[in-house]
Amino acid sequence: MTTRLWIIFAAIGTLAAQQVVAPTPETVGAARGENYGNYNITNSFEFGYRWSLVGGNEGEYRSAVNYRNGLRLLGSSFSIDSKDGHGHYFDQILLNTMGLGNDPYQSATLRIQKNGLYRYDMNWRSNDYFNPGLTVAGGLHRMDTERRLQDHDLTLFPQGKFRVRAGYSRNVQDGPTLATSLELDNNSTNSSGLPVFADLRREWNEYRLGADADVAGFKLTLLHRWDFFKEDTPYSAFPGSSAAFIGIPNDLTALQQFAKSVPVHGRNPGWLATLMTNRQRWAVNARFSYTDGHNNFALSESAGGISRFGGAATRQIAVTGDADRPMIAGDFNFTAQPTSRLTVVNNTSVNNVRISGPSSYTDVQNGFNTGQTIYFRYLGIRTVTNSTDANFRVKDWVSFYAGYRYTNRLVRSIEEFSLPGTASSAVSDTYENTNMLHSGTVGVRFRPVKNLTANLEAEIARADHPLTPVSDRNYHSINGRIAYRTRKLQLSTSYKQVYNVNAPDAFSAYSSHSRNYSANASWAPKDWFALDTSYMKLHLDTVGGIAYFAGSGRATLQRNVSLYTSNVHAGNFGAHFMLAKRADLYTGYTITRDTGDGRATASQGVADPVNALFVSAQTFPLSYQSPLARLSVRITPKLRWNAGWQFYNYHEDFGIFGYYQNFHAHTGYTSLSWAF
Amino acid sequence: MRILLLLLLLSSAAVAQNQAATPAAITTGSGFVGSNACKTCHADMWMNFNKNPHYKSIASGKDPEDKTGCEGCHGPAAKHVAAGGGKTTIPRAFSLLTPKQALDTCLGCHARDLARSNIQRSEHTKNDVACVSCHSIHHSTTPKYLLAKKQNELCYTCHATVRAQFSMPSKHRVNEGFMQCSDCHNPHGSFDATWKMGQKPRMMEQALNTESPCIKCHTDKRGPFVFEHAPVRVEGCETCHSPHGSMNAKLLRRPVVFTVCLECHNGAPGFGTRDATQGVPLQTSKHNMLDPKFQKCTTCHVQVHGSNSDPYFLR
Repeated sequence: MTTRLWIIFAAIGTLAAQQVVAPTPETVGAARGENYGNYNITNSFEFGYRWSLVGGNEGEYRSAVNYRNGLRLLGSSFSIDSKDGHGHYFDQILLNTMGLGNDPYQSATLRIQKNGLYRYDMNWRSNDYFNPGLTVAGGLHRMDTERRLQDHDLTLFPQGKFRVRAGYSRNVQDGPTLATSLELDNNSTNSSGLPVFADLRREWNEYRLGADADVAGFKLTLLHRWDFFKEDTPYSAFPGSSAAFIGIPNDLTALQQFAKSVPVHGRNPGWLATLMTNRQRWAVNARFSYTDGHNNFALSESAGGISRFGGAATRQIAVTGDADRPMIAGDFNFTAQPTSRLTVVNNTSVNNVRISGPSSYTDVQNGFNTGQTIYFRYLGIRTVTNSTDANFRVKDWVSFYAGYRYTNRLVRSIEEFSLPGTASSAVSDTYENTNMLHSGTVGVRFRPVKNLTANLEAEIARADHPLTPVSDRNYHSINGRIAYRTRKLQLSTSYKQVYNVNAPDAFSAYSSHSRNYSANASWAPKDWFALDTSYMKLHLDTVGGIAYFAGSGRATLQRNVSLYTSNVHAGNFGAHFMLAKRADLYTGYTITRDTGDGRATASQGVADPVNALFVSAQTFPLSYQSPLARLSVRITPKLRWNAGWQFYNYHEDFGIFGYYQNFHAHTGYTSLSWAF
Repeated sequence: MRILLLLLLLSSAAVAQNQAATPAAITTGSGFVGSNACKTCHADMWMNFNKNPHYKSIASGKDPEDKTGCEGCHGPAAKHVAAGGGKTTIPRAFSLLTPKQALDTCLGCHARDLARSNIQRSEHTKNDVACVSCHSIHHSTTPKYLLAKKQNELCYTCHATVRAQFSMPSKHRVNEGFMQCSDCHNPHGSFDATWKMGQKPRMMEQALNTESPCIKCHTDKRGPFVFEHAPVRVEGCETCHSPHGSMNAKLLRRPVVFTVCLECHNGAPGFGTRDATQGVPLQTSKHNMLDPKFQKCTTCHVQVHGSNSDPYFLR
């Protein structure tokens, strides 16, 4: 019966939780398609103009939204299917696109297959990424890059007992960025991160080849992959780059000449082998993976200009080396189903990573070679996990499950360096850190009355030696959900809390409390009318011990408590109307507001500058809201006219370091959808 | 009753498109009647079934009768035909099955896919979210994976708080259509993550065999680096970032960088990769936090995810 409820809720899909106004979800053309010979074809294309009017901080708009003006193929879907499953060259072609033409988010997916012979899948995506410069980094680190991803997978004999798989993936990121480089003084704390240009160029290519075979009820998979990473980003001088430019007083540093190249070429060949079987009372699946990562790198940097005291200064840095990372992972998973009501699963996982490599660093300052330092670093991580889960259905309306997990993790590091030519300069330190974690989970799910389901789950865990002060140590979580679902009305609510306490001593006491609430309602009383609304509250408060140096004259060690409170209230509302069976009107509204800890001012009137600095970082209230409206009118069965408007309003209550990034933007589009 | 059924079969035969109607069901000893019998009454299901991935087994004509056509999923239909219809006479009417029964039925064919090899221990299975909770075989909106709704809308139905996170100003572009939940998660369950510990994170779609899904796109963060920032490798990106969305820039967990850094770099004994007395290294005394340039850690520590040149991630 539960299944029935799920089908109802999943199938009727009252409203799209659409957050962007275009493309238009309504399609055109006959839903069943049209026949051409032995094939059936459906298609729908939406072509139109998108526009935007931005006020306020355009950089933040481009970071958060980024829709701009221009003609677009906003969306399209095309399918051709053979009617009897015996097409000549293919039985199916599926093509879907979104945003082609210059939207910041573009994609195309393609599937071509012939039953029993081959299946080809392609997924292409492009993301126009804009980072306005992190305000907490002085507005530096700007990026205006484009990332293009593509995946190709070909399977031969997809329905056979022996299948061959081949694949190719590519990931390219390029574009101008504004980075920083620490210049020109040799002492890093006296230097400043000054702006420099970088023409980002990264690419990653992966090739895959493997096969599956079904033998005696077992499925065996063997896959070999080769991937190659390359970064050849050239850096150059930024005109006017100086300490004064970024607001550092009493520092005359100016970077007049700069060139840097940091080529990194890597390769990661790897193997994956799996074994699976699924029987009536038991099942096994096992995985073994080995990846041999390797990077060759070099760095050549040359800088010239004025030092912080006003004299001429130069600096050249050269680095060469390589790094290796062999990685092994193995899993063995046994499932037993002694009765139709009980399922027990035991899983053992082992993984081992060893990262090591030498790096040779040479620094020449003002023509004086300060010498070469050779570093060697090793970081090894070995994790062993065993877990057992039992799932028992007492009655059709009530079930229980429970699980226990033990994990043991060893982190070993070796830190070595030497100064060639300097006697007894070699230093080598080895450290180990072992962390053991025990965790238990219990859960119950039940359906007390028809259409009503409820789930409750709790987890508690204890770790004895977490890696960082903010890692999970003594934590518990409670997760509950209640849902009432009928064909026309769906109501649900959920609660989740995660509390973590990590307090090895009084000074570094750390705890976090996260409580999330949600409530949703969807109502579709008529075919022409549907409502959807939801409210979520996400609460987080953390308390952590921090230590730092600060002072008006000589900096002294300060021990303090870092508090952070976030109270995010989020809401969605959507209404869909079908007008005279000819037009579809959708109106929606989304708001996300962090009320912070309720204070009225960022520093809460704290006068002491050190305390004021940290108090201002304890909360970051802001609101981000977006109403939208969209109208789609059917002109003919194969033609629709669409138009939409969406408004964005981003408002920071306090700003960071007194710098506000507020913006508002009207965006919209008009388009025609047609089928041929 | 049988005469009525025969008349019904004959009269509805004209509805079946491009297929010759079968005037009477041919019942085998095991109770299978074949899909031709089903389509006479369920013409609406049959009309576009040639577009359904499950049609492959019918087209091939090679699969055994319990693995093909309508009865491959719904079971032998002889009793259903003899009764003239009715859900209760269908051996496997999915609307009447428990989630466990539905799962077992689907796994009868789909168990051999690696992506579903951990489904018995997945969070979804534990919580009665079975195949038909997300997939609609006869009324799907996505022909490729037969999802009942667009993927993110489907996930938001239960994961409402995640919906809120993807509505924040700094987020991965899921609502915009650039990404899907399944780029990072495997809704059918997954092997244990090779980063972090315990039961978090759950249901991650591991990239490149066994690694964090983040590095499939953010390839430059993958390394290996001579100077690894250990928490990135050991605990994962979530140590500093909220992967779904954040009210703070760059998906950071805090609005300013120095609090992210200082909450770990406090020198408290017992933490870090070094011995228990050292803790995670404290910043040097020359970092005067009242000086604005020391409030912006990543302006100087530009390679904070890992570096090949500098142990302090300066280059």
